[in-house]
Amino acid sequence: MKKKTIIYTCPYVPAEWIAAHGFCPSRIIPKAAGNPIVPMEGVCPYVQAFVNQVTTSREATAVVMTTVCDQMRRAFDIVTSSCKLPGFLMNIPSTWQHVGAQKLYLEELKRFGRFLVTLGGKTPSNKFLTEIMLEYNNARSSILAMRKYLTSSQYSQTIATFNRDGKEAVSWTLPKDKPPMAGTSLAIIGGPLLEESFSLFDEIENYGGRIVLDATETGERGICGHFDMDKHQDDPLRELADTYFCIPDVFRRPNNRLYDWLKEQLANREVRGIILWRYMWCDMWHAEVHRLKKWTELPVLDIDVNANEKGLSVRTHLRIQAFVEMLQ
Amino acid sequence: MNNDPRQITLTEWDEHYEHLQKKGLREPDYGGVLSRHVGDGNKRLLKLRYDNSAAALRLWNFLLTEEKRLHQARAEGKKIVGVMKDLGTVPVMAYSLDNVAAFYPDGAWWIPCVMEFGAGLLEVADSLGIDESFCPVRAMLGAFITESHFPIPDKLICSVGATCDDFSAIAQRLDALGYPIMWWEIPHRRKPESDETAVKLPGGGAAPKSQIEFVMSEFKRIKVVLEELTGQYLNAEKLSAGIKKANQVRRCLAELRNIVFTAKLCPIGAIEMLVAEMLAIHFCSDQNETIIVLTELVNEVKSRVQFGKGVLNADAVKVFWINPVADLQVMNLLEDCGGRICGTEYLFSHALDLIPENVPAIEALAMMALADPMVGSSVDRAERICADIRRFGSEAVLISRIPGASHCALEGKVITEAIHAMLEVSVLEIEVPPVSDSIHPTLCTRLEALIETTKRRRTK
Ligand code: SF4
Ligand code: SF4
Repeated sequence: MKKKTIIYTCPYVPAEWIAAHGFCPSRIIPKAAGNPIVPMEGVCPYVQAFVNQVTTSREATAVVMTTVCDQMRRAFDIVTSSCKLPGFLMNIPSTWQHVGAQKLYLEELKRFGRFLVTLGGKTPSNKFLTEIMLEYNNARSSILAMRKYLTSSQYSQTIATFNRDGKEAVSWTLPKDKPPMAGTSLAIIGGPLLEESFSLFDEIENYGGRIVLDATETGERGICGHFDMDKHQDDPLRELADTYFCIPDVFRRPNNRLYDWLKEQLANREVRGIILWRYMWCDMWHAEVHRLKKWTELPVLDIDVNANEKGLSVRTHLRIQAFVEMLQ
Repeated sequence: MNNDPRQITLTEWDEHYEHLQKKGLREPDYGGVLSRHVGDGNKRLLKLRYDNSAAALRLWNFLLTEEKRLHQARAEGKKIVGVMKDLGTVPVMAYSLDNVAAFYPDGAWWIPCVMEFGAGLLEVADSLGIDESFCPVRAMLGAFITESHFPIPDKLICSVGATCDDFSAIAQRLDALGYPIMWWEIPHRRKPESDETAVKLPGGGAAPKSQIEFVMSEFKRIKVVLEELTGQYLNAEKLSAGIKKANQVRRCLAELRNIVFTAKLCPIGAIEMLVAEMLAIHFCSDQNETIIVLTELVNEVKSRVQFGKGVLNADAVKVFWINPVADLQVMNLLEDCGGRICGTEYLFSHALDLIPENVPAIEALAMMALADPMVGSSVDRAERICADIRRFGSEAVLISRIPGASHCALEGKVITEAIHAMLEVSVLEIEVPPVSDSIHPTLCTRLEALIETTKRRRTK
């Protein structure tokens, strides 16, 4: 029997916890909301796309949304009033530097677990949760190791596919030859990607660039770290919570961990330029543009993705092309 | 000279002021003729209409001298605490200590309006990449950088979590620019689940006990920070006394709102009521004076009601106003169009409710913080709004959208639908920029339509 699917988009929702309760976790990649089902003026296009996808979903058993930004938090009201899908709004603390915030997140995971049980899920034993966590650990490590063998587009899509459809959907056979590593090394940083956005990676390669660091929410930045199963042997949920809680993001207060993470990654990957991917009306990323430009010595191209466009505007294509050419 | 209650222009106030003085007007040290504040750059004042009472004069003078009060407090060696975002709770803690002045840098929200952009704060925000896609609170960034308004606080304490993106993002920029912030977490208020202990919150609604406990732990962190800053111990007695004092303000305001919003004839205009409500948030940097100012206003409106006097037509439509309006003049505009404000929800209704005095002080404050209409869902907010609409008998609702505000884009629809589901009142949503002169004709047309529709409904 096909497992029931729980859909979500936020990286702070642990897939392992959903899977351990007997559900299929699916971190969806929404399509741009060309015709929003619930028209909302002045709203981040990603939020609109997510709302569209959720309210029209036929496969999902429930939706999980989080409080990482005000728009998503409030979109929960829209979703629950526009469709019958059971919904869970998970509180993700913005602060992180004191035990209370970490505990709050752990307690929220437990509450989420109780919600899953109301949907027919089963509270996992520590042993079963550990098994699932190890499975995910291995799958994620394998994916991360694939980076050198895939084009940037294939790599980012692999991460997204794994998060959305699970490891069965990932093509584990590596190409015989490593792809040519030519092109100017670039990083893409920012919010989550829409389904249409993945073509950007190939496009950049066509212009002579190469994304060596996908630090979007959909990419490597949105992957939790490696679980250390020895740390909390009798309490795998604690390890799960601690690891997920450390995902660096722009909404954290303060958000210096995001910059620390970036600093390390940008140096490791020898990045020569940064593309900042942000949505119109997204205050969280918008407010960081100026700071990021001051913080890094690397050139930064700021792209604000416009309302519900099916693809990027011609102007944006030209700006990306010019940016890559400038760096060559 | 006509001494009947009425609304007058700033120029008329000059003459009226002389008249009041001749009649023996007694004022505090911050008193004086209102038009002097225009000299400080507050040009919008020239376009507003004011209540002609001595009580209103004192209210305006109190409001417009806050920056001076803060500078004076610094000069006197008081510690200045910049409280950010929570609107109404942390100041109660701060004012429980001696030698502290707490204020909201968020108040810079109004500067672009009051100074008609003359302060240049938005340009500073622009230069830091915080453009008009953010709400007017971006002026706060400019106020910090230029240091031309409030003194830079000794400590900044900001709530984050279930807050708007605008503020959270801008506060983060401030922090990164070298104004370190003590962040505290306010979780999204949710409904208690069946297996959880529920705590009834002031103003209706409920929250799970676990959330109250969490916020209490956050307040304990803040308490330590305040104690370190001031070198004083913030014990339970002091905090309880602080709560009692805050409640004195809130009681005054509740009485004022009750009299004004339920009076047959509107005894005082909307702008003065908005200013009065704002005093409850942080006492305009002087708690004792706030009580005096509000008491005078209460006495004034009481006497007007008693003598059947008012400032607007008897058939003015009772409008419930949601969200603060970025341009104060639009409140006058609504009155010109035949409306009067009977009920408000300016994003801080929790700061108007009495703080429980029968529970430990920190717990009471945690309850207040979680009662904030903005930390819960828009549906909860709408429920409270509907209860207040019923209570004040408002006939129409005006949602004033704040340009750029992250919550406005999503809550308007939810609130409108909830109101329509619960009540038979017309709802109008408008968006008002900090200086709205250019859209006055359109605004008037829309406001008039709301008033006419509502009046027609009366006759049915
Ligand atoms: S892109 Fe920004 S506004 Fe949109 S969901 Fe993410 S954080 Fe929220
Ligand atoms: S007006 Fe709205 S968006 Fe702006 S600071 Fe206040 S709550 Fe936040």
